[in-house]
Amino acid sequence: MMYWIYILIISFLTLVLFIEFFKEEKWINQVALAMVLITFVLRILQIK
Amino acid sequence: MNKKNIVTYSILCVALFIGGMAAHDFLQMHEEDVFKPSATLTKTGRLGDYWQGLKGTSNDSKIFYFDSGKPGATVLLLGGTHPNEPAGFITATVILENVRITKGKAIILPQACESGFTCTDPFEGNPRYFHIKTKSGNRKFRFGSRVANPLDQWPDPLVYTHYPSGSKYSGFESRNLNRSYPGRPDGSFIEQTAYAIMQLIKTGKVDVAFDLHEAAPEIPIINAIVYHEKGEMIALNAVLSLEMEELRYKPELSPKNFRGLSHREWGDNTDVIPFLMETSNPIQGRLRGKTDEELILKGISPRYKEALESGALNIEYLPSGEPLKRRVGRHLAGFKAILEAYNEEYPEKQALLENLPDYSDLMEKGVGAFLN
Amino acid sequence: MNRELIILLGMLATFAVSIFKLKVPAGISLMLAAVVGALIGGEGLPLRHLVEGGFGFLEAILIIATAMIFMKVMEATGALASINAGILKTFYRWPTLLLMVIVVFVMFPGMLTGLSSTCILTTGALVAPVLLAMGMPKLAVGSFIAMAAIFGEVAPPISIPVMIIGGGVDMPYIGFAKPLFLVSFPAAIFTAVFYRYRYIKSFDIEQVLSRLDTTVYHKFGIKLFLPLVFVVIYLVGEISFHDYFPHLGVPLIFMIGALLGIFSGEKFNFLNVSRQALRNAMPVMAILVGVGMFLQILTLTGVRGYLAVKALYLPNEIKYLAALLMPFMGSAYASASVIGVPLVYVFLGKNVLIVTAVLVVMASLGDLMPPPSLLCAYAAQIVKEKNHFKILRKSAVPIAVTMLFGLLILVFSEEIAAVIF
Repeated sequence: MMYWIYILIISFLTLVLFIEFFKEEKWINQVALAMVLITFVLRILQIK
Repeated sequence: MNKKNIVTYSILCVALFIGGMAAHDFLQMHEEDVFKPSATLTKTGRLGDYWQGLKGTSNDSKIFYFDSGKPGATVLLLGGTHPNEPAGFITATVILENVRITKGKAIILPQACESGFTCTDPFEGNPRYFHIKTKSGNRKFRFGSRVANPLDQWPDPLVYTHYPSGSKYSGFESRNLNRSYPGRPDGSFIEQTAYAIMQLIKTGKVDVAFDLHEAAPEIPIINAIVYHEKGEMIALNAVLSLEMEELRYKPELSPKNFRGLSHREWGDNTDVIPFLMETSNPIQGRLRGKTDEELILKGISPRYKEALESGALNIEYLPSGEPLKRRVGRHLAGFKAILEAYNEEYPEKQALLENLPDYSDLMEKGVGAFLN
Repeated sequence: MNRELIILLGMLATFAVSIFKLKVPAGISLMLAAVVGALIGGEGLPLRHLVEGGFGFLEAILIIATAMIFMKVMEATGALASINAGILKTFYRWPTLLLMVIVVFVMFPGMLTGLSSTCILTTGALVAPVLLAMGMPKLAVGSFIAMAAIFGEVAPPISIPVMIIGGGVDMPYIGFAKPLFLVSFPAAIFTAVFYRYRYIKSFDIEQVLSRLDTTVYHKFGIKLFLPLVFVVIYLVGEISFHDYFPHLGVPLIFMIGALLGIFSGEKFNFLNVSRQALRNAMPVMAILVGVGMFLQILTLTGVRGYLAVKALYLPNEIKYLAALLMPFMGSAYASASVIGVPLVYVFLGKNVLIVTAVLVVMASLGDLMPPPSLLCAYAAQIVKEKNHFKILRKSAVPIAVTMLFGLLILVFSEEIAAVIF
């Protein structure tokens, strides 16, 4: 149960970060966002 | 598509590629290791047979049963409680692939915490696999995490409170099987695993049990046999007979306030006489140098040699290295010596496991010679 | 030259060039340093290791992200401004006491979570406007809350670096309350007094209060603080009375607090506030992913072992200096794990609980140090200072005093143990 609540939290954070990723003007900041997103997405997909 | 979009989608593609490549490696670790048990195998089972909550999960670990058909003691052997301690797991594998049982029963779980074999720990830089050359070809074994995969139990609490003692450990330890005994059926994933093992000990009427481990060379309890007070005479006799073979083991009494560990909780909560053994494993140590498969197999770490020479630490490390064959050899020698001491102590209820290689066999021929 | 030393120098040089010359964000600079380290170490481009390292601080990243959302919600509801005014109104007559209360207040979330960054993100962000309004220069404010965050991370009841060291030497987390109190609170009180006399001159309370908004409190009353009360009570409850408070975890507690905020004060758009929060949290989240990659490559290539063994080689007389080197690892957790664990053995014979507590305070100072300068980067964001190294420079005195306290406690650990145990 708690596991899925945390997956929900991380999914919400991922959604917000994706919005920021597409709105971000500086490419270097997009790279930083991508670093965090890889981690979040792999956890949401139950891979790592 | 304007320039900005091209950059955005390019970064996305690179991230997808990196994530995809890493995901491929992570997912590969869910492929199970192959065991080739000896002809005397009676049956196989799963940990889920002892607690339904584990059925179909990654800790529905494989169990191998060997029954002589003659009355005697029941021996339980756990390898892979900590999947980053390969000598324990490989010793259990060598035993289950060679054993011929002539009295009593043996139950072997080579990968007690299978969940931990499906991932490696961040920051440790560990390899995912190691390979051993055998007569049937090169065999691949997983090298995993000390604890269960977070995909099976997450998030970790800030502080892990052991049930039922209330002892506190770091949150990471909440996924450590050897801090979770006796466990509980309605507890966390790892507490349920511990509970299932306790049920196995109780319903299987296990008389003597072994939990095989390894530790970093700088850890004080190393090259040791840890025993519950019930097994003091057996442990001391075994240590003495090993001395005769010029193999030195430190006898360590299980501390009463160090809760959740197999050597304490198995002994306190069941009729079994438990033993835990440790060997010196450089890849677990914080002083190790380059971290790779060779370090698992050959156990040569120039950094540990240097630390040994500095005299600053009390380190259990041979200057020539701590190869897997030596570590497995020590576990096998310890296992056999304790079992012999047990048989002497309880002549009316013996367990006889034959066809197991000696320490010198391992040192001479290597581990691969004793894997099918 | 030694292989590991070449790798280390290559990684440090890459980081320095990337961050100082190319002005690349710290998180990415750390990743680049990790990539270069792997290449020099003959590991090629180990994508699995890099991504795996990024997972090392996932829990901390979640805490930071959710804590930031919670704080932004508190700001949007008007609760922050009301608390600022409240603290100031109550304690302005006694500035020394005020600073002592503030330092403990900032430490509070770290005492409960064992994470220094939560102090800066929550209570640190809360008090920063008060301190600025009292006339403390912005660099001093940043430095003050960063130092308080360090003490919060060390102080009992929860200290994650102790648990990290305990995990390395098989030592249960028992009996640490007194030693941790000893290494954190006196230094924290010194810091409060030092900043009071160094930076706070007389100030006009009316003028300060007039710059703070107090109308929201009158509009919503006590309801305004409901989310904060929930978060504090649940954090304390979960840690100290875990039999009565089911485990939720810090990120979930902050998220529930943030959702409660929707009903407690001024109206706001939750998604927009979350976007703003994560935009602010982004640099630190990326740093944590980057530090994770950096640490993974240090271990993979053997540099971690090299550093730990070199620390052992120090002659007997200057073993204490090894402890003093701990802050310079640049991360409390990394330092606790890499140097802290072997040092516990170096000091065998002394009281292990006190030795560990001292090593933890030394390691925790690492959160201020480059390469990541995690706390300075955060404090800089809060006080709107672009160069976070200026915050580090400003913290030199309290850092030195804290290290000196630590050293003295280490030298006299046996005598102290006889008194406190």
